[in-house]
Amino acid sequence: MSKALKAKAQLVRILVPAGKAAPTPPVGPALGARGVKSMDFCKEFNARTAHIEPGVPTPTLITVEPDRTFSFITKTPPTTYLLKKTAGIEKGTGRPGHEVTGTISLKHVYEVAKIKAKDGHLKHLKLESIASTVIGTAKSLGLQVVP
Amino acid sequence: MSVLTVLSRSCVRRAFSPFLVRGYAAKTPSTEQKSGVGAKDTSAVEEKTLSSCPPGTVLEGLNYLKGQPAVIALPDEEYPPWLWDLLKPKVYEDDGPGGKAEKKRLRKENQQRIKDQNFMKTQ
Repeated sequence: MSKALKAKAQLVRILVPAGKAAPTPPVGPALGARGVKSMDFCKEFNARTAHIEPGVPTPTLITVEPDRTFSFITKTPPTTYLLKKTAGIEKGTGRPGHEVTGTISLKHVYEVAKIKAKDGHLKHLKLESIASTVIGTAKSLGLQVVP
Repeated sequence: MSVLTVLSRSCVRRAFSPFLVRGYAAKTPSTEQKSGVGAKDTSAVEEKTLSSCPPGTVLEGLNYLKGQPAVIALPDEEYPPWLWDLLKPKVYEDDGPGGKAEKKRLRKENQQRIKDQNFMKTQ
């Protein structure tokens, strides 16, 4: 056990629109504070998300090593974003359970679950379980799920 | 003759109507059985349409990749059978004392009791 503490790798979780990185307010300070050149990250991010429709919010997890090198993982769009687009609503309710914002079919739920299943952190789950979580998210948005 | 007296009695009770309409009883048992069998066939046909979403509906917003064709709803048969049970309350089969089903049931009851007690304290 060395007396000097090893500097830990820092994690940064950010929601970036696909293909549109590099605006100063969201991305710049969050990365710059940890010593990462934001231009490098943005070029690499835009290259990796080139296959996604521009503007789709993409959660990324950036790991910044002590020597200021970074690596990042991109994930599927947030479930709430997918559900809102499918149901055609702008925002969820402020009072879930009391207000209904829209209706969704189980077929929509299935397709959303199929998209989410591509995520690395969900690959140990059955599609049935992922679909249950999607239904839970829909309820929190005030969406009514019908068969 | 007895029929006429019955009819006349009913006329006396109610207002006299020139057209005596005799009300017949409900469908006889034989006809009810027939309609029951018929109803089964129609309900079997109705149950086949499990989803409110007809096949061919465009599920918009789910083609988030560039150049991805629109996602279209498939016929009900092409979806896995567990999909239609997702909205029903989950049933835990009884494993006997100390089993998973009993634990879930007891936990649910305890939680509901605490909620009720908390509510009563606010009253």
